[in-house]
Amino acid sequence: MTTPTPRVIVPSAAAKGEIFQVKTIISHEMETGLRHDDQGNVIPRKIINKFVCRYNETVVFSVDLHEAISANPFFEFSLRATESGRLDFVWEEDGGAVYMLSHQFTVG
Amino acid sequence: MSLTRRDVLIAGSAGFAGVALFSPPSARANDEALDLVEQLIGRKATMSDRLHLIMPADFPTGYTVPMSLYIDSPMTEADHVRQMRVFAPRNPLIEVASFHFVPQRSLPRVSTRIRLAKPQHVVAVAEMNDGVLLMTTTWVRVATDGCA
Repeated sequence: MTTPTPRVIVPSAAAKGEIFQVKTIISHEMETGLRHDDQGNVIPRKIINKFVCRYNETVVFSVDLHEAISANPFFEFSLRATESGRLDFVWEEDGGAVYMLSHQFTVG
Repeated sequence: MSLTRRDVLIAGSAGFAGVALFSPPSARANDEALDLVEQLIGRKATMSDRLHLIMPADFPTGYTVPMSLYIDSPMTEADHVRQMRVFAPRNPLIEVASFHFVPQRSLPRVSTRIRLAKPQHVVAVAEMNDGVLLMTTTWVRVATDGCA
């Protein structure tokens, strides 16, 4: 499996109070734990189980993912521009690995 | 009988009778979904037209079925949705995802892609800040098993 690579599409600026859209995706197989290999052994579950979006350290949107989220999990959601600062995007994988992206955001 | 897009639109605008044309009888499905939600969450939900679960009625692959979910809510401290959960009752593992929203910071809407093992009523449940559970279901037919 290749290293999961997160990507985010988000504007870099917005007016105060404006609603802006965020699109996120991470390349990930989302192995469900329901599949077998050619020896009949179960391929262990390995999924992204949590996604969190923080806006200046405050959680503003999060998702608990289960096996039925498709491979390369994609989310599109909408936030309100409140102040300039940093958006952090965090994906947590079974086994404890964490993948992150940060994005500077200006409110004018 | 073959249905064109126009037929579907006309049927849709004709209301419930039109819906019944291309989805199985939904009264029983709703009862099943209500029972399921009560088993899973431990409280009764009520069907609500404030909650919208938008999915294709027919989709060729069960691996990546598009799903949009939103609810009409002012998202104030006094009146907001805490989380929305999605279940696929005919999947081998029925929980799909829980989406958490924050009043005044996020809009109560999200889009993603999910796996479906077979044609089924997908269920969405919204938990409001006062603990009320609102629910809706959407019929989706997939041609291939997305969980194999």
